[in-house]
Amino acid sequence: MTATATRPQSAAPSATGGKRAPKRERQGAAWVFLSPWVLGATVLTLLPMAVSLYLSFTDYDMFDAPSWVGFRNYTQMFTEDPRYWRSVGTTLTYVVIAVPLQLVLALAVAIALKSVKRGKGFYRSAFYAPSLLGASMSIALVWRAIFNDGGTVDNLLSDVGLDIGGWINKPGWAILSVALLTIWQFGAPMVIFLAGLQQIPAELYEAAAVDGASWWRQFRSITIPMLSPVLFFNLVLQMIQAFQVFTPAFAVSGGKGGPADSTLVYTLYLYDRGFTASHMGYASAMAWVLLLAIGVVTAVLFRTSRAWVFYANDTHEGGR
Amino acid sequence: MRGNRTKMSCALALVLTLGGTLTGCGGDGGGGSGGKVTLRFTWWGNPDRAARTEQAIKVFEKRHPDIDITTSFAGFDTYKAKLATQAAGGDAPDVMQLDYRQINQYATSGILLDLGKYPELRTSQIDKGLLDTGVVDGKRYALPVARGTETMAYDATLWRKAGVPEPTADWTWDDWADAMRQLSKSEATGGRVGGTDPGQSEDVFEIWLRGQGKSLYTEDGGLGFTADDLTRYWEWCTGLRKEGAVSRAEQTTQMDGTVENTPLGRLTAVSDFNWDAPVSGYSAIVGEGLKMAPLPVGDDGTPGQYFKPSMFFGASAKTAHPKQAAQFIDFLLNDQEAGTILGATRGIPANDTLREKVLPKLEGFDQVISAYQKQFEGKFEDPPAAPPKGDASLQGTFARDYDQVSYERMSPREAAEDYITEAKAELRQ
Repeated sequence: MTATATRPQSAAPSATGGKRAPKRERQGAAWVFLSPWVLGATVLTLLPMAVSLYLSFTDYDMFDAPSWVGFRNYTQMFTEDPRYWRSVGTTLTYVVIAVPLQLVLALAVAIALKSVKRGKGFYRSAFYAPSLLGASMSIALVWRAIFNDGGTVDNLLSDVGLDIGGWINKPGWAILSVALLTIWQFGAPMVIFLAGLQQIPAELYEAAAVDGASWWRQFRSITIPMLSPVLFFNLVLQMIQAFQVFTPAFAVSGGKGGPADSTLVYTLYLYDRGFTASHMGYASAMAWVLLLAIGVVTAVLFRTSRAWVFYANDTHEGGR
Repeated sequence: MRGNRTKMSCALALVLTLGGTLTGCGGDGGGGSGGKVTLRFTWWGNPDRAARTEQAIKVFEKRHPDIDITTSFAGFDTYKAKLATQAAGGDAPDVMQLDYRQINQYATSGILLDLGKYPELRTSQIDKGLLDTGVVDGKRYALPVARGTETMAYDATLWRKAGVPEPTADWTWDDWADAMRQLSKSEATGGRVGGTDPGQSEDVFEIWLRGQGKSLYTEDGGLGFTADDLTRYWEWCTGLRKEGAVSRAEQTTQMDGTVENTPLGRLTAVSDFNWDAPVSGYSAIVGEGLKMAPLPVGDDGTPGQYFKPSMFFGASAKTAHPKQAAQFIDFLLNDQEAGTILGATRGIPANDTLREKVLPKLEGFDQVISAYQKQFEGKFEDPPAAPPKGDASLQGTFARDYDQVSYERMSPREAAEDYITEAKAELRQ
């Protein structure tokens, strides 16, 4: 709008030496300020992405020059590689377990913290700390130790009669210990939920209380709908992250995705193909499929969000 | 002024590439100062190896004031991935430590320098069979640093208490299996199993195979065995596991390359197959009773065991200073002073004279290992040629396929066929 309006004006004074700087010059300044970002984005993101897309159509072992194979990496992935599908299954299992549990826990703690009067700051930091620490390799290794055969969790469970014998060496249990590590890092969505909860006008609850609505009724009819944009935001964000889980699975299985491929999540298999087996082309193809899959899932979430996410304007106008 | 600009551009490079080009800046600075030659030397290992390596390098730099050596090291897996990435980017270090399984790939891809052209590098003191493991297509691309061989480490005290005859030099795989059964059943071992399930180890499989006159790979780089051979091996292991003679899947899967996480290291087994160099790690856990026995031989007495080069040194084909690189490798392999400093930190030296000199000075368990190796001198067959290109990930595939067997998700036959399919694809057969 402004661009079309200013064009004729700015073109004329530049020829006659008017007071306003010519448009091109002003653009120049913008580019100078933008250049670090543009350079960074090009060199660190766009270029590698282009190369990766090219490599995904080649056979490249990092030593000899890449050789063009067309869609072979993709067809091999979908039709000839049982481990690929195993990794897809493991990742989906992980996402389905970790994301909902993490969000429920984050919301529950956020609601509890909202009513805390004293030591607010302390509790918030305490619950947020795992989010800062949890992504590190060291915590993942600690996790491995406490869920190992003879580790803390194993010993505690044995004491109450649940003799599992270590989670990380049981195919069905290992992925659970990985999921628990993610669930434990509920601090980031919790903080966002807290912010969201504080946005809900108190008079809504007061009015509901006057009408004699129970806590549960208030939660269902006020908190959830009012919080739905925040809930949606957290869901999308956590899901995108969950699809790319790597560190905990890598550490818990010692980089191998074991036992019996039970913690072989998508990115771990991608790493295995790329850096252990030196099939960079195949790994690149896997990365692009992951990108597309996350894109599709996010798009679907956005589509369904129309049915359950309410924005403040809607409610003020009396809902739908 | 010039210095400032270099600093500026370095800082800019850092900001833009977060370290990618920073190493480039560092290298230029070193190379440009007063005509001094800088060699980059990278290797894998632990802090002890690092300390001794640095000490030896100081001696070298004192003798060659015109050469500067910069080093970096990492754990094996990290090192492998990093070196491959560097090599792919045409930035391989001048001198590098290499694994048996890297030689073929690196040599045929033109990353390694033909060291045979440099008379500075003497090879007369190294056993010819061992030396030839670094030769690819008639060219000397890498030199063996030290030799290792496999062993069965065992708790001799418990072994004796259980009344099981101790291993002899000519025991067969059947003798071994019987010992495993007896040890597991004996009350003296207190519920420990005889040994680690050997099904996950491609190294043990190779020795078993060689005892039958076969090999992992043929001369021309193909597979030296069939799905039937592998099925037979895995069925045999599965039988022993189900009898409770060797470790359960849950115990076997905890192995991660360290001795502490093997069943013997966790004190849930009485013995373990391993390479000889890491065995000293068990002595701290098991104690005085720890002994080393040779691996069983084939039914007709054919030994499968061999001396394997534990690691190699090679130089980059793109190095600007090939002569100096050869001098440095020669120093590490053949120099007496270097030999004394390095000791057995990279294994028992491959250099014959050095080995004789170093051996009496070895301390503690290194002494036991060297005595263990000495009994085999002149008795083993030559080691096989370096594994073919494409084999890099097959060791992992082997362990993984057997994992599927021990968790009873595949039959030995299915897993063996899976392995053969993947191996053929990797080797591009």
